Amino acid sequence: MTFFNISSFQFSKSIELFLIFSKRDLSVRFKQTSLGMIWAIIRPISTMFVFLFAYKNVTNISNISGYPIQIVIYSGILFWNLFATSFQSVSNSILISSNLISKVYFPRMIILFSAIAVSLIDFLFGLLVYFVLAIYFKINISAYIFLLPIVILVTIFISIGLGALIASFSVRKRDLLQVIPIIVQYGFFVTPIVYTSLEFYLKPWFKIYTFINPLVGLVEFFRFTLISGYQVLSLTEILISVFSSFSIFIFGLSVFHFKKDTFVDHL
Amino acid sequence: MNSIVSVSSISKKYKLSSKKKEVTQTFFNKIFKKKVIDEYWAVNDVSFSLNKGDKLGIIGNNGAGKSTLLKILSKITKPTTGKVDIKGKVASLLEVGTGFHPELSGRENIYLNGAILGMTKSQITQQFDEIVEFAGDQIIKFLDTPVKRYSSGMYVRLGFAIAAHLDPDILIVDEVLAVGDADFQKKSLGKMKEVASNDKTILFVSHNLTAVANLCNKTLHLERGYVNQFGETGEVLNNYLSALQNNLFEQSFDHINFAPGNDLVRLKYAKLTPTLFGKQLIADVRSSLKIDLEFWNLVDNQNLNISLHVFASTGECIFNVGSSSNLLNKGVIQASLAIPGYFLNDGNYLVSFMVVKDKSIVLYNFEEVFNFEIADYREDTNWYGKWPGYVRPQFDFSIQQVSLKL
Repeated sequence: MTFFNISSFQFSKSIELFLIFSKRDLSVRFKQTSLGMIWAIIRPISTMFVFLFAYKNVTNISNISGYPIQIVIYSGILFWNLFATSFQSVSNSILISSNLISKVYFPRMIILFSAIAVSLIDFLFGLLVYFVLAIYFKINISAYIFLLPIVILVTIFISIGLGALIASFSVRKRDLLQVIPIIVQYGFFVTPIVYTSLEFYLKPWFKIYTFINPLVGLVEFFRFTLISGYQVLSLTEILISVFSSFSIFIFGLSVFHFKKDTFVDHL
Repeated sequence: MNSIVSVSSISKKYKLSSKKKEVTQTFFNKIFKKKVIDEYWAVNDVSFSLNKGDKLGIIGNNGAGKSTLLKILSKITKPTTGKVDIKGKVASLLEVGTGFHPELSGRENIYLNGAILGMTKSQITQQFDEIVEFAGDQIIKFLDTPVKRYSSGMYVRLGFAIAAHLDPDILIVDEVLAVGDADFQKKSLGKMKEVASNDKTILFVSHNLTAVANLCNKTLHLERGYVNQFGETGEVLNNYLSALQNNLFEQSFDHINFAPGNDLVRLKYAKLTPTLFGKQLIADVRSSLKIDLEFWNLVDNQNLNISLHVFASTGECIFNVGSSSNLLNKGVIQASLAIPGYFLNDGNYLVSFMVVKDKSIVLYNFEEVFNFEIADYREDTNWYGKWPGYVRPQFDFSIQQVSLKL
């Protein structure tokens, strides 16, 4: 048996099943709401307004680290939502598909990967709004925008890695499901989402922190590709975060791989 | 050996942590003592092999491990020990319409379900019209309606239609014949037979011995996880049926002190005798049943009667009959009851009876005195689905032509 089970279930068929699961989730999403994809835009925009309200009225801040406050906050939220919603749906994916898993065999990993479809599409819609904001605030788009797919890919990898860990263990005991909202809620504040790491990146512990919380490096990398002239972190720090994300991805999938054959016994 | 399916001594263990024990455990016990875990072997040392074209019927009581075995064979779960070697494309059908999404249309669900069952998109597109046609006229009209609006019959028909058009080398089926209305069952069985007539290998779990006898050349009889028998269908079924017969429906107690009961009444003897026809080995729907009971009455001069309950295996009470009440003295009391043939439907039943004083006070309730099975019997029919209901009466029911005018 190979890692992706290609031996018993052709790879092309796995891809087809992955596509059809993704398509299912997307069309269900469209069918159940009348505003459809508008919701993908409403969420980040409204979060942005909440923080604008707080910053402007409570602390009277008008720019963050020299960049327009709206741009910093919106790009941060856009990144965070991509991570958080992917992570949440990957974590829940196995339990949600429990009926399918207990009745049919197919490579279980397909479920993890197809769980990100909806959050990825939501993200792309949110990205369109970013460009509108960028034009409004006269932010240039640099050539680094071509690195954007890499950031998105790495972010999806870390979401799948973490989600796979939670999915694997929560099949047996549901305790870990309680960890999801904690990560999503506190992670939002300990990661430079509504601020930048400019204020503390010189602290001695920062390099270790970019490893422990790879989202720090990823969000700054994300902003680097979107906001022309934005460079807070060095390449080393970003690479540490990328490396850490990959490690989590590989570790999560390995744990999943060793646990997947007995999921049914605990569902 | 050119066996297409070879299963070598597979076992599957489940851990059951018993809840009762957990409740009584104190906090410290929980920390310092290991939790008591009961092990349960759902499948135990099962081996068999099939050649290309074999049709295997898997029979056994509830809890014999049939479903667990199918799950292992279809790779849904891994065996604890042992090895399964299957050569070729496997399609397993443990449920009809697995993965249907209620919000999606029939058309979308055909693609979704087909992909889940292992068909490629082009294969589905190729057979799309056939699938829809097989599912019936009704489906065509509702092809673009979400399946949540479908009737349960339509849902099942569409599910079976997709499954029927899989083209595997090995097909694993779990009682999916028992779906849909009579008409659709006939069609499904026809399709199964068509599949059976070519060189496909089929593994088929069923409670319906008639269907197994009709479709399968080999049979595996499981009992509490073990292989009781594996071999030619005719031979295995005969042994299976005669083994059932040997489950003597008779209990007798020689010593009053060791007999079940209390200080007022104790059971002495109980026997259930079915009438059998011809070479028949176990009771079927035609058989009448005779129940003989004897008990010791330990108190003089009381008015006693018996109230007997027959329960379905699901726990529902099918009926309750009471004997007449008689003034009886100490000693042995005898009672007998006859249940006519063509009364109970096929299935598993439990019998309990109570000894009642003055038609109101229960002296003792003898629970589960008999646990018996009634087999199915049909003539002149091509339909092998489960006959619904708990009773199987044969009432006069006539049909005739009264006019030729339209």
